[in-house]
Amino acid sequence: MATVSFKGATRYYAGVDKPAVDRLDLEVEDGEFLVLVGPSGCGKSTTLRMLAGLEGVDEGQVHIGDRDVTDLPPKDRDIAMVFQNYALYPHMTVAENIGFHLKIGKVPKAERARMVAEAAELLDLEPYLDRKPAKLSGGQRQRVAMGRAIVRRPQVFCMDEPLSNLDAKLRVQTRTQIASLQRRLGVTTIYVTHDQVEAMTMGDRVAVLKDGTLQQCDTPVGLFAKPANLFVAGFIGSPAMNLLPQGEHVLGVRPEGWRITEDVDGTPGAISATVEVVEELGSDQYLYCATPEHEQPLTVRTPGMAPWQRGDRIGLVPLPDAAHRFDAATGERLPG
Amino acid sequence: MSTVDTAGRKAPRKPKPPPAARGISPLRVLGKVIVWLFTAFNVFVLYWLISASFKTPVEIFTQPFQLPRQWFVLGKPFRNFVYAWSQAGFGEAFLTTVLLVGASAIVTVAIAAPAAYALTRLGVRGSGPMTNFFAIGMGVPFQTVIIPLFVGMAKLNLTNSLIGLFLVYVALSLPFTVFLLTGFFRSLPDEMEEAAAIDGASPFRTFTSIMLPLARGGLITALTLNAIGLWNETLLSIVFLQDNAKFTLARALFTFYGAASYQSEYGGLIAGVTIVVLPMLVLYIVLARRIITGLTLGAGK
Repeated sequence: MATVSFKGATRYYAGVDKPAVDRLDLEVEDGEFLVLVGPSGCGKSTTLRMLAGLEGVDEGQVHIGDRDVTDLPPKDRDIAMVFQNYALYPHMTVAENIGFHLKIGKVPKAERARMVAEAAELLDLEPYLDRKPAKLSGGQRQRVAMGRAIVRRPQVFCMDEPLSNLDAKLRVQTRTQIASLQRRLGVTTIYVTHDQVEAMTMGDRVAVLKDGTLQQCDTPVGLFAKPANLFVAGFIGSPAMNLLPQGEHVLGVRPEGWRITEDVDGTPGAISATVEVVEELGSDQYLYCATPEHEQPLTVRTPGMAPWQRGDRIGLVPLPDAAHRFDAATGERLPG
Repeated sequence: MSTVDTAGRKAPRKPKPPPAARGISPLRVLGKVIVWLFTAFNVFVLYWLISASFKTPVEIFTQPFQLPRQWFVLGKPFRNFVYAWSQAGFGEAFLTTVLLVGASAIVTVAIAAPAAYALTRLGVRGSGPMTNFFAIGMGVPFQTVIIPLFVGMAKLNLTNSLIGLFLVYVALSLPFTVFLLTGFFRSLPDEMEEAAAIDGASPFRTFTSIMLPLARGGLITALTLNAIGLWNETLLSIVFLQDNAKFTLARALFTFYGAASYQSEYGGLIAGVTIVVLPMLVLYIVLARRIITGLTLGAGK
């Protein structure tokens, strides 16, 4: 078990002047589940690969526990990694895949078999130990990749979008399984995803990256309640926060932060809007409303089966606690 | 949920092809005709070769397309093969060739595989130019360097020696094999190596335990192509081997050709050709499926 810290870690790619990861400072607690999230090309995978030792660190340092691992090869870092496409060895059986690290580490055969069986039991892989990866379903392969990581009992798990190759339903199931497994094992975990729902549901804390720089690192609740800037405000939450330019400020209101009134003209401060699209999800309903002042339609969440229909004229009033204010020039959150 | 009623419905014997594949275009017909003519011609030549190897010289010339008869009537159907095998020294030459070609092909691949791996995967400085250097080697026809090669080998006392020919074979096969295998190693996914690195495997271990098994299809392809090429190689064996006892099959066939046509022993000669041709045909038929599955072996998700 160990902490992980990035100290001004910077990574350049050949032929690109702008760093892929720029002076990243990040502290991960012992046993914490930290999610790195951001749009593609934001540097989240590069950050993870720097920690794993698959990518060099041009400036700054990476520490695991109190060891400076910046220049250590992957094998000396005591980490395990789950790859996006699992990277299972296709010519080895599930048991051999899971036990490959132990075999290299010259763990005696009986001990190895016991550890592999233990990991397989944890992941419900026992019936498949003699199969090759090609004979497994996507979900099973994903579990083998997990098994390969947990059998090592490493100090840190690195996970690079491990769920992105699963179908939607399996992804939701596996998400919960991974989160609960991590909590049970208590291993510090850095998890990369582009899916903000995954980030919010799995992480103890979530670090949002954009263009190689860290935007904000906070608990899911913190990110949602107090986004540090316009990017985080727009990125976290689904559907996204409505951002309304108001002179030097930008007003941010989440879809659930509106009060709807039918009395448009009689309510002071109400934004007059016309319902353009109604998305009925059963439990919720989303209204996409056109307004004369704004180009972007406003998103409004209402309880499911609400009576609104396309073409209805409604008034929208931000709820008192739901208004976020940002500086239009810098994009930073304004106090209050 | 409703269950589909399959009673009274019948699946078509042949499912309908996609719309684009239907209809007869003149080009498609022409292509099919050419492919089938080409195939028919090859099958015909093979038939002629095998049937003639069981015929007497008279039959070969008077009844070139019929099935063989006379040797069967005489009760000695394999007489031509026996003649070629024992009289022309094909028996010994066969063993020599199997050993020489086998050793050359295996050693070539054993040298080329690590070289190709290093050139494509280790990110060595100058690996691009070095790969090109190997590729240039393919562009030099060995016939043009055969005289200096002979002179050089003679100075080393390596002419009229199977070891010498083995060295020449390996050296001349390397460019193509390295080129073939670089393409193959390049196509393997990076994650395999990264996973191996994180699992703690050394570069050597990664190569032997992960990359070589993944490249199995490529290795078998390289082995087969080299074996076929070297098996049929005649010019170098004529130049480098003078001693009957060291003849390879192609070399022995060349000598036998002189003797057999002088004695009008055409049946034996064709049986000799068959002995040279058939093993490679069989090798290819046996390995073709493995080559193809090997080439398409998936490693990712």
